[in-house]
Amino acid sequence: MRFAFRALPAASGGVLTPRPVVDIALEGLPDAPMECLLDTGALRTRMSAELAPLAGIELSGVLTEQFYIGGLKTVGALARVGLTLADGTDEFSWDAPVWFCDPWPHPFGLAGLEGFLHYFLVTINAYDGYLDLQPQP
Amino acid sequence: MTVSGHQYDLDRWSVEAALQGVLPEPIQEHFVVINGRRWPPKQVLALVTGLDRADFTTHQARRALTRLGFSAARAASSSGHDPVASSAAGPLRPAVSGTAKWSESSVEALRPFIGLWVAVRGDEVLVAAPSAKEVVAWLAQHRQRAQSMFRVPDSEEAITGAAPQ
Repeated sequence: MRFAFRALPAASGGVLTPRPVVDIALEGLPDAPMECLLDTGALRTRMSAELAPLAGIELSGVLTEQFYIGGLKTVGALARVGLTLADGTDEFSWDAPVWFCDPWPHPFGLAGLEGFLHYFLVTINAYDGYLDLQPQP
Repeated sequence: MTVSGHQYDLDRWSVEAALQGVLPEPIQEHFVVINGRRWPPKQVLALVTGLDRADFTTHQARRALTRLGFSAARAASSSGHDPVASSAAGPLRPAVSGTAKWSESSVEALRPFIGLWVAVRGDEVLVAAPSAKEVVAWLAQHRQRAQSMFRVPDSEEAITGAAPQ
């Protein structure tokens, strides 16, 4: 499965550096896959907590952890959820732990080791601006 | 301006003002550009006149709005079908070739929505709204499936990890 890097407009004009992202659909929210930055330095897969109720994911009473991200103190709540990755031709679904965080400063989720990278063979071709993901059974 | 036998005193500013806080519906074929966004002509004219959409045609709406100075065009590909039909018609994400590069058109399509949540399919912005909840509600209401949902960052810091203190 191949994914082109995504470029975004800069608020000050011009274009932000294209980044490796994947669109991950949460179980219960199949029509709005969340853009997630591929973060090879992150141990967890994290998303904004505002997505959980939209997908019908219950977070009350689950394991939580406090941490800092970019200098911002936040709380992550752990849920094991069904995830789906699709490239328009193929799709792959897996069940993984995701930390839903509030507050969440980023405009996208972070796809890290636990929850994402453990499930794929990843090849990043930054020169040509794409990444290949091969699901690992 | 006369629409469907009724007289209206409309100008482009009153139309722009009437659309504040309203989300555009899916583009079927024709659209007009207002406040930097694409709108179905019939949605706009119905909103500003209070008329039922059955009282006028798309072409009448398009003509009325272009007379007010709004540009109009025909969508390159129709997106007004349900998710099942959409999936059957083709991939949500364009196939990526060996030397894939991001497209300038996709960046420019996002520029009017800096700071907003968007749902996109290919280079097309399906909907933009202040919250993910509103975007998801719009997708469900109009039976649309997005390729991706995210917030268009309003600062470089938001995507480099340097969050506000």
